[in-house]
Order: sequence, then structure tokens, then C-alpha cells
Amino acid sequence: MSDGIKVLFGAVLGVLYVAFGLLQFILAAFGPVESLEALLIPGDIFSGFVLLVIGTVLLTGARKLSGGAADGMPFIYVGILLSVGFGLVELLALCALGADAYLVGEWADWSVMDTITPLLYLAVLGVLGFLAWGREFLRGIRAA
Amino acid sequence: MTREIRIALTGNPNVGKTTLFNALTGSRQHVGNWPGVTVEKKTGRINRNGYEIEVVDLPGTYSLTAYSADEIIARNFLLDEKPDVVVQVVDATNLERNLYLTTQLSELRVPVVIALNMADMAEAQGDAIDRARLSEFLEIPVVRTVGTRGEGLDTLLEAAIKEAKTSPHHEHTVGYGDDAEAKIVTLVDALSADRNLAKRYPLRWLAVKLLEGDENVVSKVREGPASVRVQSILSSIDADEYEAVMADKRYEAIAAILPQVHRTDPKGTTFSDMVDRVVTNRYLGIPIFLALMWGAFELTFTVATPFMTAIDTLVVWLAELAVASIEPAWLGSLIGDGIISGVGAVLIFLPNIFILFLILAFLEDSGYLARAAFIMDRPLYAIGLPGKAFIPMLIGFGCNVPAIMATRSIESEKDRLLTILVNPFMSCSARLPVYVLFAGAFFGAQAGGVMFFLYVLGIVVAIVSAKLFRSTVLPGDVSPFVMEMPPYRLPTAMTSLMHMWSRGSMYLRKAGTIILLGAMVVWALASFPYGVEYGSAESFAGMLGHLIEPLVAPLGFDWKVAVALIFGFLAKEVVVGSLGVLYGTGEETLSEALLADPGLSAATALALMVFVLLYMPCVAALGVIKKETGSWKWTGFAVAYGIVVAWVLAFVVGHLAPFFIGGA
Repeated sequence: MSDGIKVLFGAVLGVLYVAFGLLQFILAAFGPVESLEALLIPGDIFSGFVLLVIGTVLLTGARKLSGGAADGMPFIYVGILLSVGFGLVELLALCALGADAYLVGEWADWSVMDTITPLLYLAVLGVLGFLAWGREFLRGIRAA
Repeated sequence: MTREIRIALTGNPNVGKTTLFNALTGSRQHVGNWPGVTVEKKTGRINRNGYEIEVVDLPGTYSLTAYSADEIIARNFLLDEKPDVVVQVVDATNLERNLYLTTQLSELRVPVVIALNMADMAEAQGDAIDRARLSEFLEIPVVRTVGTRGEGLDTLLEAAIKEAKTSPHHEHTVGYGDDAEAKIVTLVDALSADRNLAKRYPLRWLAVKLLEGDENVVSKVREGPASVRVQSILSSIDADEYEAVMADKRYEAIAAILPQVHRTDPKGTTFSDMVDRVVTNRYLGIPIFLALMWGAFELTFTVATPFMTAIDTLVVWLAELAVASIEPAWLGSLIGDGIISGVGAVLIFLPNIFILFLILAFLEDSGYLARAAFIMDRPLYAIGLPGKAFIPMLIGFGCNVPAIMATRSIESEKDRLLTILVNPFMSCSARLPVYVLFAGAFFGAQAGGVMFFLYVLGIVVAIVSAKLFRSTVLPGDVSPFVMEMPPYRLPTAMTSLMHMWSRGSMYLRKAGTIILLGAMVVWALASFPYGVEYGSAESFAGMLGHLIEPLVAPLGFDWKVAVALIFGFLAKEVVVGSLGVLYGTGEETLSEALLADPGLSAATALALMVFVLLYMPCVAALGVIKKETGSWKWTGFAVAYGIVVAWVLAFVVGHLAPFFIGGA
């Protein structure tokens, strides 16, 4: 695939991560906003910070790559890895909280929608990037 | 008849010495993908071909001119203990730099065998090494090994046994140029007057080291009969200049050999290069590090939750059962309220500890922790700490005891002392149960974030304290930080799980020993004098707590917390164990009992977590501080400073937190 697609992918995903990161900061400072409830954004500055970091890495890659700098590629790749990695963290957290609700007998009150966060659903896009370019990137890494 | 052979494993840092040592001896010493994991020598024994072989794993060193405490250990062993054979473990992917040490070992007149380790990685990246020719040039046997897979071990041992039996060994010297050689001859002549020295060390090697200005060798000569003449020769030369010239000559000798034995494919950008461009980026490196830390604590807290619930339920059920069914009542109370509640309150956090160690093992094995030290060098340097100090600080996330020992890799004594003094502020795993308990009880979904805040606070306090010490009690310049970045590797499940187990099992052992003891002592204090209500203000625990309460009351802590903090000195987990005993939880869990206590709020809980993070090293950490500093004064200083900082910050946090979290 051409670098143009990587630039576009990095820019779009980067903007999404930064936007959701900023929204999390805003919600943490000012409380829930009804019109944004459908986006399942928690008011949590720590995960908001993580969203901003991933978004900045991806945007840096897109900017460098669009300017013709070959060293933009690693930023796109690492951004994708971070996206997938943190998505996995959130997925494990979701499963663990579900299992805990079951153990303490609160399964009926537990809703998967309460546990889904932007770090989880944005990672779906990261997974698509990983499927497209992951093998190319991870070539050369060896087992410890 | 069995003959004994002693083999010393030496080599540059992070070339796989300990992996090879473990493979040879069947040991399970800790290995990691960064330089400086081994800071003291370790021994293991094997029998082979009728020989009883003692294998000694030495800390890594780049040369025989030792600067740091761990390098001195390695060099002194090679020089003074005189092993029968030295196996130099060489990283096959970085031949040139590794052979620098070979040129120095060759001058020692000891039998040397080269283990060409990580040969598989070198081959995978297109390198071809002609071992036979290399061996011919160096006049040293060269054996291909892959420590992680145990390849080449038999050949290596056979070569080592053969070399140990061969004698005498002549030294292989590098020609240092006419001027230096003339000086060496003069120095050898002068040194020959010292028969004692001549018996113990090769005189040419001593002369070379004297020319290089090696302080350790200068001091060896100083007390002997050759001292005056040697000093007179040395006073006329510039040691720095000779050291540089001799290093050049060694590299020239290596450069003459390498093209004839080593063929390499020109490499493009590697995976490690690509990742490093991002994770060591000047602006993004630290934010990415912080993001990864948050991820680690989020996982530590949430993934452990169902396991904690299961253990908690079991502990409460067992404690109730013991109290209700064991006669006499005092024995039931000791077992139920004391041992099961106390130890159980700590065991609940076992899943968190294991998950945190698994994540740390993953980051360490992947090679990322070395990058974390690199990116922290700039801020650390600015405040007066060498970047190398960050590795012991990171190890401190696991346990402060090995972390303080890891400071041996720091060359400057002042830098080392500074790093030792601030290390206890790094939040070790023993403090994790306190955070999980209070953050989980009082902060719900934000618990992961609160834990992240505490870990970052520990780093910030360590850094600010270092700045303070540097500008007051320990002034001086910071040593430059040079560290080789290991390649990234994909951690295997088996090695990461083994690392997790070796560290996590320490926590289990503590639960069965010091925490059990702490719980029993607290139970006894809460039960006596005879006839008082268990855990009441009239008990010994109550009296002790009330005695100390005035000191911690401004922080919002009551007498029960005061008692728990006193026993936390034994080990930080005992804080939770003590609270488990003192709250005598009955049908409710400890979390529920704490939430029900009107004296505790979210702000008090946060202040307590800050206090536990900072207040003083545990007794094991204090022991190692005394051992490594050799000073009661600095050990006492570490305690006093920690208590003051903890009190002040807990006070500030406790009084400011209500404005942010509304939990006064």
C-alpha cells in the first residue's frame, strides 16, 4: 500500500484520538454532557491523557510522512501498536469487571455499555491498521 | 579422582552471561534485557567428564579498568581469585566492541575461551563469523553458543576443561606503539623490584594499567618497594593521553582482524531503530512512558478484581468458620481474627502483585525499560542525577532491596549514595496492597488513576529530593550517562511467567513469615490485657495507638491506622494485615469495614496512601541501605527524611484533596 494511505489513516485516527482525549478532559472538568452520552466517554483525565498521547504519535507520523520524511513511518506503526495495546488493556478490564460482577452476584445490574470507552472502540481502527501493516513492521523482532 | 575446575563467566553487560550461567548450572538467576542486571558474583556447580566445575557468573564489564562497584567485583575476581579458565561471553551481533575486553583478558596470562553467544541473532541479521579464523588470530578457542536455547554448552565446557588443563599460558599482547612500549619496558623493569606483586600479576599488564592511570593498580604499587621509581616515571606522563592512545591501538588490532573473520550485510532500518525513533523521541518519549505506566496500573487493578473477590470471599468465610468452630474461644480468635484475617487481608492482593510483576517482566524482557532510563536521562541530569540512576529506580517498582543493590553499577560514589537515598520513594510492590485496598474502597472506577498518581508522585518526590540533596548535602557534578540500548525482543510467555513467579513468590514467602508474625503480634496486642474487648482502646494495641495518635491526628489518622503504620515498618504489606486484624471484619470485607468507619474519608484514604508511599523504608530496605552505604548516619537520615516528607505531603494532600474530590 502506498504512503498516501498511511498518511490518511494516521491523520484520521490521530485526529479521532486527540478529539476524544480532549473531550475526556472537558467532561472530567465540567461533568457529563447529555448530547455526548452516546459516545460513552468517561470523565477520566488519565485515560484522556493516553488518548492524547496515541493521537499525537499518529499525527506526528502523518505530518512527517506527508512532508516526505521517511522517519514518519515508525510513528504511524508505533501509534497503531499503542492503539491496539491499550485497546487490549481495556478489553481485559471489561472482561475482568464482567467476571467480578458475576462473582459478587451483580451480573443483572452490570452493563457492558458502562465499561466501553473510546480507548476500546477506537482500537478497532488500530486493529485494521495492524492487520494491514503489522507484519511489515514487526519483521525482524525476535523472541527474548 | 575428581578434579576441581573454577570457570569465571565474564563479558560486556547484557551479552547473556547469566542466561548461559543458568543453562550451564540449572540455576534460576534473574536475567533481563538491559545492561547491569547482575551486580554481584553468583556461583553454581556442575560435574562433567570427571571434573567438578564451579561456574562463577560475574557482573558485566566493558574493560579491565574498573569504574563502578560491580565492575570492580568482576575485575578483582579475575585478578585475585585466579580462576582456572575465563569464559568470555561475546555478543556475536556486536563483535568489535566485545573484542575490546578480549584484548585486555589476553594480557592477563589466564586461559580464555570465547563463547560466541547470541549467534542465532547474528546469523538472522545476515552476519557470518569465521570462528576458526577468529580462534586462530586470537589463539583462543571460540565456541558458538545460544544461551537461551542451551546450544553449544557441551562444546563450551569441553573447550574450557581443555584450556584449564593446558599450561603454561603465554600472554597475547597488543603493540601500543614505540613510545608506549618504551614506557612499558621501563615500568616493567621498575616493577620487577616488587617480588610480591610480580608473583601475583603479569608485570606487563600492571605496566599497561599504570600507564592508563588505573587508580586501583596505582594503589597496589604504592605500598611496595617499586613505588618510588614507578611514581617518578608516572609523574612525567599524561595518563589520559596514554589511555586514549592505548584504546586506539586495541581497536586498531581488532580492526585488523575483523574484516578477515566477520562478514556482515549492510543493514537497513531495523525494528529496534524504528521503535526507538518514537519511544525515545525528545517530546513524546516521556508521555509514552507515562501512558504505558497508566496501562500497567489499569491492568493491575482491574484484571485482578475477580480473583481478589474470590480470595476475599474465601478469607472471610474461613475466618468466620475458625472463630465459630474452634475451641477454646481465644484460639479461634487467634486463628480467625488474627492469622486468617491478617494474612488473608494481604493474600487478597496476590493477583495484583503477580499481574504487576508480569507486566514489568514483559517491559523488561522486551528491552523497553532500558529506553525508559534513556528518556529519563535528560530530566534526571537537569536535577543532578545520572540517567543510570533510573534503572535502580525502576527496579524499585518491584522491590527496593535489589534496587538499592543495583546502584552498584553507578560509578560515582556521590551519585550512588544519592540514588540509594531516593530509591525508597519508588513505590515497591509491598505498598500495592495498601493502594488497591484504599483506592478500591474509596475511589471506585478511578482506582487505577489514583494508583498511577501515587507511582508518579513517588518518582516526583525522588527527583525533587535528589535535586535538594545535590544542592545541599551531596554537591558535585553528575557523571555522564552512556548506556547501550539492547535490541527489542519479543518476550516469551514462559520467560515472563518465570520472572513473574520468581518475584511474586517472594511475596508469598513474606505472607507466610513476616506478615504472619506481624498479624499474630497485632492480634496479641489487640486481645490483651486479659478481659478487654478485642481491638478496643483499652487493649495494648489501643494504648500504643493512642500514644502515637497525636502525631498522626493532623493527617486525619486514628489510633488503628497509627498501629498499622508502626507495624508497616516490618514490611509495608503488614499495614493491610494489621488493619485486617484490628478491624476484625467479621461478615463484611475489610474494604466494607473501612468504608463504614466514619473517621475515614476519600481524602484521608488518599493522605494515608501518600504517607505509606513515602514514610520510611521497610526493615529489609534499611538493612541494605546500611550495607551499601556502610553508614548508620545515612541510614538514619533515610528514615528521618522519609518520615518528614511523608508527614508534610500527607498533610497537604489530606487538606487539599477535599477541594478536588469533595470527600472531606
